[in-house]
Amino acid sequence: MSSWKLRKDVAEDTQGLIASGFGRLEHGMALFLETQPRSGGGWLKALQDALPATAAIETGGELLPFAASFAFTASGMRNLGLSDEELGSFSDPFREGMMQEDRLRRLGDRRRSEWLDTVIEGGPVWSGNVQPEAVEDNHADDATPVQTTTTVHALVLLYAQERKSVEAKTEEIEQLLISHDVSIVHRLALVLDVEEGRNISREHFGFADGISQPIPFDEPRPNSTETSAVEIDGNPAVEPDRVHGVRLGEILLGHVNGHQEIPPGPIVRDSADNPLPEQNEAIGFRDLGRNGSYMIVRQLHQDVAAFWNSMEEAANTLCTQNPTAENVDAKWVAEKVVGRGIDGRGLRPNGRIPDVDGEADNGFLYFDEDRHGTGCPLGSHVRRSNPRDSLAPKEDMKQTLLDAANNHRILRRTRKYGAKFDRKQKDDGQERGLLFICLNTDIARQFEFTQQTWLMNSDFSTLYEESDPLIGPDGEMTIPAEPLRYRAKVKTFVKLVGGEYFFMPSMSGLRYLAGL
Amino acid sequence: MLQTTLSVPLDVKPESASRLNSLITAFRKAEDARDDPTAVNFGRLIEGIPTLHFFSMSVFEDSAYDPIFILEINCDGAPEPFLQELDRLAGSELRDMLRCCKEPLDGNAQLYREVTDEGSSVPIVPYLKAMTQAPSVFHHGNRGLRRSRIIEEAALFRDVRAELDTPEDNPYFGSTVPEIHKRLRDQMTSKFPWLAKEPEPRISKAERLMDIARLVSFAAVVLIVLSLPGVIAALIFSKFVYITAVIILFFVISYLLYRMHEPLPNTGVTTNFKLMRVITQQIPILFLLLSYPIIAGVLWLLQIGLRHAFGVSSQWAAPVTEIIVLGNLGLFVVIPGLVLWLRTLELNDSSLYKASIDPDKVAEILEHEDWVSQNHMGSIVHVRPGVLRTLIARFGHRGLGLLLRVKATEGYLGSMRTVHFAHWAFLNNHSRLLFFSNFDQSWGSYLDDFIEKAHVGLTLAWGCGVGFPPTRFLIYDGASHGRLFKNWALASRTVSRFWVSAYPDLSVDQIERNFRIASGLRKKELSPEEANEWARDL
Repeated sequence: MSSWKLRKDVAEDTQGLIASGFGRLEHGMALFLETQPRSGGGWLKALQDALPATAAIETGGELLPFAASFAFTASGMRNLGLSDEELGSFSDPFREGMMQEDRLRRLGDRRRSEWLDTVIEGGPVWSGNVQPEAVEDNHADDATPVQTTTTVHALVLLYAQERKSVEAKTEEIEQLLISHDVSIVHRLALVLDVEEGRNISREHFGFADGISQPIPFDEPRPNSTETSAVEIDGNPAVEPDRVHGVRLGEILLGHVNGHQEIPPGPIVRDSADNPLPEQNEAIGFRDLGRNGSYMIVRQLHQDVAAFWNSMEEAANTLCTQNPTAENVDAKWVAEKVVGRGIDGRGLRPNGRIPDVDGEADNGFLYFDEDRHGTGCPLGSHVRRSNPRDSLAPKEDMKQTLLDAANNHRILRRTRKYGAKFDRKQKDDGQERGLLFICLNTDIARQFEFTQQTWLMNSDFSTLYEESDPLIGPDGEMTIPAEPLRYRAKVKTFVKLVGGEYFFMPSMSGLRYLAGL
Repeated sequence: MLQTTLSVPLDVKPESASRLNSLITAFRKAEDARDDPTAVNFGRLIEGIPTLHFFSMSVFEDSAYDPIFILEINCDGAPEPFLQELDRLAGSELRDMLRCCKEPLDGNAQLYREVTDEGSSVPIVPYLKAMTQAPSVFHHGNRGLRRSRIIEEAALFRDVRAELDTPEDNPYFGSTVPEIHKRLRDQMTSKFPWLAKEPEPRISKAERLMDIARLVSFAAVVLIVLSLPGVIAALIFSKFVYITAVIILFFVISYLLYRMHEPLPNTGVTTNFKLMRVITQQIPILFLLLSYPIIAGVLWLLQIGLRHAFGVSSQWAAPVTEIIVLGNLGLFVVIPGLVLWLRTLELNDSSLYKASIDPDKVAEILEHEDWVSQNHMGSIVHVRPGVLRTLIARFGHRGLGLLLRVKATEGYLGSMRTVHFAHWAFLNNHSRLLFFSNFDQSWGSYLDDFIEKAHVGLTLAWGCGVGFPPTRFLIYDGASHGRLFKNWALASRTVSRFWVSAYPDLSVDQIERNFRIASGLRKKELSPEEANEWARDL
């Protein structure tokens, strides 16, 4: 694990969630808020007094009693008081919201006004209900825009070491919010479950999660007086990590991104006492984007019993097909589906990738070690989520394809919710799953690309008619083997419960919004 | 050539543009059978036109031009059979669409009137043929595979897959690769008798030779034209003056170029592309060096031949060779000089930092996209004016087109293989450049592929477009400005109002995989290496 840090001035202005998943604060709470139209930022100011947002500069040092992050949907931004002109400066996916019909089709959630099997019955229950802009079209075949029963305007992520401190704090702020006419319309108690000894946390199916993360670097532009905004071990990080290097602007607005430009971010009209930095391109405006980021949130229900039953079934089928098969059992199939061992290690044709300093080695590539996927299957969840150099057709294209893949990385801050469930248990019908959270600066090129072109793509890596075996719908999964591949039947274990695109402002951005 | 790519651009009566759009939409709705799960979508056209690969109809609006209606055709063999079947299946609808188009002002007016007259039943084929525009550059991802073959091999793939997936008493697991191969071959040959026949070569030797000959001749012509100034100068001046001038000018121009080599402020994009590596890898330097002795030898032989045949006794071979060598020495001034001219233009070109994107149009484009894993795009851009830009656009496209025929025979553009059929064509006296592509995956990922994997070729081909992101020496930066490039391309797009693919569920990659599996099954025996590779595709 690399320990990168933001330069002091950037760290002071950036919310802590960018720099840290608050791994030492094991318990968390996600509070989804609904605000009133034109309510302004008064409630946010009061909330910040009771629960200040944690800045990146505060992370990595002494253990904090609480950590908090704040993010807003496009409808939430409107309620805070941003004008149409200002809202127009946010990126299209954020403004249109995750529930826009064409977007849902691309994400694999909905088709021709019907929810797909990867969504809970009746459709998602919460979203920002971001009204699409009125488009005069007579050509639209589609019906009215998707609306969820619960409307979310803001998200508060709260972390502490003990469950009871989280609950006490939640109660405190709930009272405060009620007095400001803001209601908590949905909440999820989050857990991390860090395993003793091995620094991994497991999701409900039992696999280590959140291991592979991009590592930012920041190369100052030619003729610039600025130093790198990222430091690794106290030194400016101007060179990319060999495997996971991405430019800081991929995860933080206001910095140079993978296209070697400052990504466009939201701007607001200049005003008296405006705490935001100036915007050089748009004269008369202030930069609301700098040191902020777009946050993607998808609540994913996990059916653990179904997952293990299906793995059992698949293993039985494969063993009937090939009575000489060795080691093919539910765990073997599950590891192939995920693309990682249950012990957290990467799969290799002849075993596992050895740990480095007692931790799973994440600095691996595919082309040289496992080109054909006889270790980690080509279509496994891990390989689809980040193919690294795996998609290179030829030896001399490895670097190009690795660089290309790193143009689509996301910073993940996922935690699970719901009670633990042992795989040998009978289904208890309890709601449990993942609150998938990730951060990026270009939702379309990063998160949506990952979902559409890698995970749900039926042609990924010269496969045919199959999508992600873990989060995709019922289908088949090719498990390469010598001399003949297996094809395992997989079912739908993960379903979307709700989701939306949020904007996570900088610290000064939060002050600005609280002052509205 | 087994496949044909072309377009038929037709100017639209501006007042009839919206009617034309609704006619196309109505046609699409009539053909679209997606509500019926038992039917092949667009089956009437796909089955009725056996040579069809991809076909589209779109209307482009442009503030500087009247709307233009374009039929894009990608088919097997010559276009006539395609057009005849199209006429048979959709003649009356097309006739209505043609009535929304302007009558041509040239000799094709008569054809137009015959086709569009009230109650006319004159075939539309001659008119469409007359209006056809050949592409300036085109690319075929699965070159040399007829549609029927693509579909047959896909059917074979499905059967092979089902056979290997036999749930019980599966004879394939536990077998060696040669055993698997033999058994599969036995099973499949009875059902797919074509496996026993010799397949049509994807690229015949004659075609391959012609492709190479065309490229080499093109390179030779370019070289001759570029060396002409040197030849003339060498004839006028003494050798000493000429060589001295070449050396001095070379250093002066190089110095000037060095001063201009930096990117414009904040427009540099570093990528993995190394020009020198490509040049040394792609251009046979040894061949170039050897070419002079070869030329000298040929001329010398010619001289001897002439002396024997006609008694011509003059010694001209040596001086002519010398002039050729001196003329080519002039390339050290001519080429840097052109680059200097180009760079001067680049430094003063305007690039579009905020392309004007119509949100309604984009919404409509998005509505038509991502229904199957293939997608379609059509775009028109204006071409930058000026002598040098025009020459580069025309010669650059010609060269790129010929190069693609020679190099991109396996479907790869750089390291990307997602393009089924794509082409560029010039419109309106070379003032506009049309681009059509039928590709796998989303439009965004397609453009990202270009940005990340094929930015050099793309910058070369599209850099002549007005508003294209800042380029450096024709090939650097440009398309690597990912966001600017995407916005620029998006602004130039139109709605793919009617678009049909004959095999919408097959990617370029999958078609090649099916081809490899079929090729393996055609062979009675495979070498151990071949066999292992073949088995990986199963």
